[in-house]
Amino acid sequence: MASMKKTILYLEWGSILALLACGLWVFLKLPIETSQGFPQKIMYLHVPSVITTYLAFFIVFVYSIAYLWKRELMFDQIAKASAEVGLVFCALVLITGAIWGRTTWGTYWVWDARLTTTLLLFLIFMGYFLLRMSVNDRDKEARLASVLGIIGFLDIPIIHKSVEWWRTLHQPSTLFKVDSGEAKPSMPPELLYPLLASTLVMLAFYLYLLLLRYQTEKRTDRLNQLLAETQD
Amino acid sequence: MKTRTKFVIGGAVILAVIIALSVQSLQEMTVFFYTPQEVLASPSKFEDKTIRIGALVQKGSVDWNAKDIQLSFNITEDGNEFIPVLYDGVKPDLFREGQGVVVEGKMKGPRFEANQLLVKHSEEYTVETEHKKNKEDYYKSIQAQ
Repeated sequence: MASMKKTILYLEWGSILALLACGLWVFLKLPIETSQGFPQKIMYLHVPSVITTYLAFFIVFVYSIAYLWKRELMFDQIAKASAEVGLVFCALVLITGAIWGRTTWGTYWVWDARLTTTLLLFLIFMGYFLLRMSVNDRDKEARLASVLGIIGFLDIPIIHKSVEWWRTLHQPSTLFKVDSGEAKPSMPPELLYPLLASTLVMLAFYLYLLLLRYQTEKRTDRLNQLLAETQD
Repeated sequence: MKTRTKFVIGGAVILAVIIALSVQSLQEMTVFFYTPQEVLASPSKFEDKTIRIGALVQKGSVDWNAKDIQLSFNITEDGNEFIPVLYDGVKPDLFREGQGVVVEGKMKGPRFEANQLLVKHSEEYTVETEHKKNKEDYYKSIQAQ
């Protein structure tokens, strides 16, 4: 327990300081991108948030399956914590995307496939928490939420592939670009490495939030259990 | 009529509307824009309907009238077939020749009258050698324009 507390503390300060360092690096040291100019810098918040959202809901997917299989409450607590953090990052993706879209495309929002499926992901996981709130029985809540968590995650491959499957305003992938079977991010190294660094830092920040939320979730369930026992 | 029957009928109506609306919007979503070829191939289908067309800005076709705030240019995919576009509005910052754009508006005869002009940007990011400068130089360069 004590070591968990320490891990959380290190992750908290480590990731917050590293996020600040990334911000300074991006704004003070990085060269200006040729075609977009200064607004391109929002990429260093947008893309790490996208990858963190993907990972957060992947964790929901994995632990929802694990819960349905083993019926271990711990798995549901992790899924719930990850969904909550994922929802915050998903909101961040939509907000930073809208700001970036206004400066480059000339609009905050269009109903193209990439943007619409991302909004759908956000709404599915809003529904996920409404579902959890509307069920009183803890085991039933976990069971139903696991099913929705698994279905909700399936939107992510659709989001990722939407720019290839349909005509969209959003451009295709830069980071995950594949050219004749080889990974070829279409970005010079001086823009790419800071992006990878900010992504790693954002993932560390996610891990901190996940562990923190998981701890609270575990304690809430334990407290409710004890309350139920004393009332009997 | 029993309350339950009412719920079933009401539910069925709501469900039907939801399905109809999602099918319709899904069709719109999957074809976010048409290409100039598609529009030129069947002009009667698109006449006087609000549509989006996505293509590239033809090189040498841009005419920006700053006094009347009017922008006209041709959009094309292959450089052969093109549609002349008239846009009543400010030229976007990233609007350039050869750039991908999505215009929303109506075909009026052979010309497309756009009320919205969206600029696509490429997934290619570059740093030109002369652009490897810091923020202050960048601000100076845009002020000089």
